[in-house]
Amino acid sequence: MGNENRIINILLKVHIALCLLFIFAPIAGSFVFSLNSDRFPSLPLGEFSTEWYRLIWEDPLVWSGFANTLIVGLTVAVIATALGFGGAYTDFRYNFFGKSFYLALALLPPTIPVVIMGLAMLAFLSRVNLSGTTISVIIAHGVMCSPFAMAIIRLRLSQMDPDLEAASWNMGGNQWQTLRHVIIPFTKPAIFAALFITMAVSFDEFAVAWFVSGLNETLPVKILGFLQGQVSPRINAIGSLAFISSMTLIILAQLLLRNPEEPKS
Amino acid sequence: MNRRPTLFSLIMAMPLLVWQLAFFLFPLLFLVAISFWTVRNFQMQPDLSFANWERILSRGVFWDAYLRTIVLSTAAAVITSLIAFPASYAISFKMGEKAKRWMIFILIIPFFTSYLVRVYSLQVFLSDAGIVNAALSYIGLGPFSMLNNAFGILVGMVTLTLPLVILLQTFSMNFINRDLIEAAHNLRCGRLRTVFAVIIPSAKVGLVVAALFAFILSFGDFVSPLYLGGGNPPTLSIMITDITKSGQQWPRAAVVAIMMIVTLMTVAFSAISYAYREKGK
Amino acid sequence: MKEAIDMTGQPEAFVKFENVVKRFGNFVAVEKADFEIGRGEFLAIMGSSGCGKTTTLRMLAGLEDPTEGAIYLDGEKVNGKATWDRDTPMVWQSLALFPFLTVQENVEFALKMRGVGKEERRQRADKWLEKMQITEFANRNINQLSGGQKQRVALARALVTEPKILLLDEPLSALDAHLKVRMQAVLANLQKELGITFVYVTHSMSEAFSMADRVVIMSRGQIEQIGTPEEIYREPYNRFVAEFLGSANIFDGTVQGPAGDDGWDISYEGGTTILPRSELTDAKQGQSVTFIVSAENMQLSLPGSGQAGIEASVAGEEFVGGTAMVFLETSLGQEIKVQKSHDELSALDLHAGSKVIVHWASESCHVLPGETG
Repeated sequence: MGNENRIINILLKVHIALCLLFIFAPIAGSFVFSLNSDRFPSLPLGEFSTEWYRLIWEDPLVWSGFANTLIVGLTVAVIATALGFGGAYTDFRYNFFGKSFYLALALLPPTIPVVIMGLAMLAFLSRVNLSGTTISVIIAHGVMCSPFAMAIIRLRLSQMDPDLEAASWNMGGNQWQTLRHVIIPFTKPAIFAALFITMAVSFDEFAVAWFVSGLNETLPVKILGFLQGQVSPRINAIGSLAFISSMTLIILAQLLLRNPEEPKS
Repeated sequence: MNRRPTLFSLIMAMPLLVWQLAFFLFPLLFLVAISFWTVRNFQMQPDLSFANWERILSRGVFWDAYLRTIVLSTAAAVITSLIAFPASYAISFKMGEKAKRWMIFILIIPFFTSYLVRVYSLQVFLSDAGIVNAALSYIGLGPFSMLNNAFGILVGMVTLTLPLVILLQTFSMNFINRDLIEAAHNLRCGRLRTVFAVIIPSAKVGLVVAALFAFILSFGDFVSPLYLGGGNPPTLSIMITDITKSGQQWPRAAVVAIMMIVTLMTVAFSAISYAYREKGK
Repeated sequence: MKEAIDMTGQPEAFVKFENVVKRFGNFVAVEKADFEIGRGEFLAIMGSSGCGKTTTLRMLAGLEDPTEGAIYLDGEKVNGKATWDRDTPMVWQSLALFPFLTVQENVEFALKMRGVGKEERRQRADKWLEKMQITEFANRNINQLSGGQKQRVALARALVTEPKILLLDEPLSALDAHLKVRMQAVLANLQKELGITFVYVTHSMSEAFSMADRVVIMSRGQIEQIGTPEEIYREPYNRFVAEFLGSANIFDGTVQGPAGDDGWDISYEGGTTILPRSELTDAKQGQSVTFIVSAENMQLSLPGSGQAGIEASVAGEEFVGGTAMVFLETSLGQEIKVQKSHDELSALDLHAGSKVIVHWASESCHVLPGETG
């Protein structure tokens, strides 16, 4: 690597550091502010305080928001993973007329701006009298999270020896038995990863939830409310907790995806 | 294997299809439909009226917001791409495998933090008495107004899109055949020139796609324009949320939404065509 | 081409392909496959990539459906019968062992799919683990085994249901050379011991010829010849098979007229020769005929010895064990292969460029029936 220029390399590394600083400053800041006594933090920082955490612990609105988020998140995780699994397997095994349309429909939701999705879902769901319920959030999140589940599971399927499925048929297993005894065991790590990641995506999704949840607000929607009322640094406390729980889910998902071939004892 | 769809294949394929048709495609089509409906007595009534379209498209407020949104998102896409490029270049070409994987993991973390919370935190950083201004005052630089203006909005948009753009650019640069670069050096092409002559053209598709995603995300974002930009004058996304939350005038909001979708599809189509167009065709 | 298969003396047909055609869109993968496989026979299907051999095997297993024609298994027409309803276990090229199961669980798999109870499953699997000498690995994960051990797991897994037929798709292609030879012996002995039908697909001629009772040679979807290894080697049917065998010299000639009572005068580029009537029962003057002379039957003489034959110069030599293959080039550019032992060669004292006369006895000629007429 003799064509390297020392100075340029150093400048590039500094640039990366600055980018990371820019990206993580708000995240780190939120964590720090959550433990800071100041209502409007600035330099120099105020005293250490867990006041904000105490406030959200005692706020019933926060708890109900959290409960809604949890219910929605768990349900969406299961639904989106199931839908995504079907889509991934369909893409893996079958070729048919209109397959491109099928795939587009399955994978496009993340590209539509959330405001538009929110409005569309609100109009549609209220027309069928489903708006303003937890179910409406579940439906909307099902649409938005299944592409992620599908992508994760599809990736895992592409790592499978294509003969494995045929070998199972050959050994007398019909398609259902093969699904149960070969496909699912093989994709198990990806299925769990999909469950965690769809749950994490649902936790953080506030825009569409804001449109359709009406009074049954999820936690992120409550945060939006707090922001509008300029109400408080409690947001930082909520945000930090949400961040820690999301990170836990992601790390678990990563670990699962990293050790696929565990020998059964 | 067999020609006729089996029960098994239908059970695998249909649920997702039905779900997306019913809850994704249909609501979007419904949105187009209600743009022609009218509101009477606080209720939406099916109709075939161009009143909403005329009303929205004839108002200067709409076109101002339209222009503002396009300018802001384009600026955000360009700025983010420029900031991201040296970083992606360094990750793709100057880092070992292990370091690369760590960087990718680090860059995925922001996706699982709340954008709202980050924006709130940015408010604290950027406000007149906030962190950044306080730090600058230590070295004698006067307080800068960074909120309730385009600067604040752009900071928010870059925060939103930078990780994704870096990842997409890095991903596409990873695929460049390293031999091409050595060949360029071999043919006496300097480092900087190689970047423009070899790397950018080779990664063109990925770079355009990354910028396109930044554009789409920024175009639809209402959080940064609202909480870092003051909300006034509004962007298209703020218009939609305002109209929706302040009454039942969903048909008018639908008009704005459709204009947004059409714009996005046009931009996406042109960008992809440009990216995939090969020289000499 | 349709080779009449003499089934007299053959074991009864267990598999029958009846005018089977397989098309993928416009591409014809298998063209009019029509042959039978006997009960307890070791049949090899051989050819280079893309010749249709694997597709033929897959149709038998039920992984592909024939576009036209019928396949019979044990007297029953099986077109359209799902893979899992047939009992045609296969050993895959990639082995396709289940990575999330132990060796024992892999071997038991087929029994589990058929609803066999836990205890019985274990006993039957244990029997086959022992037979393939892999009992010590029973609880290991597949990834911990060597190539040869994995092979034996694949065999045990396929045979645990005691099927009447075993399909093998290039199972030895991933093994090292010495392992290959050993496994060939294992497979051949296993087949004889079990007495079941083996259908073995390979691109290797040596594998096919050393293990099989009969060989099917395919090229571009067509069956070129079916026969025992000796038949094919001594009497290849057409140019393709002759070239595939590699050790035959092919000549294109024209019939000039009868040569006495038991021969024909043939002229070809480079000279004339006589073909015996046993090879060519009836011929007309001017008829084209292609014949081969195998490398072992070629004779060499030095120029000036008065021997009639083709003039050629030595282009190169290749040593294979105790014999040498000498490559000659005629003045017309044709390549001729001559196989000699080292002793015979040293008597001639040849080196690159040496001129020799090549000749052969007319009894050594074999006419290719598929190219005549």
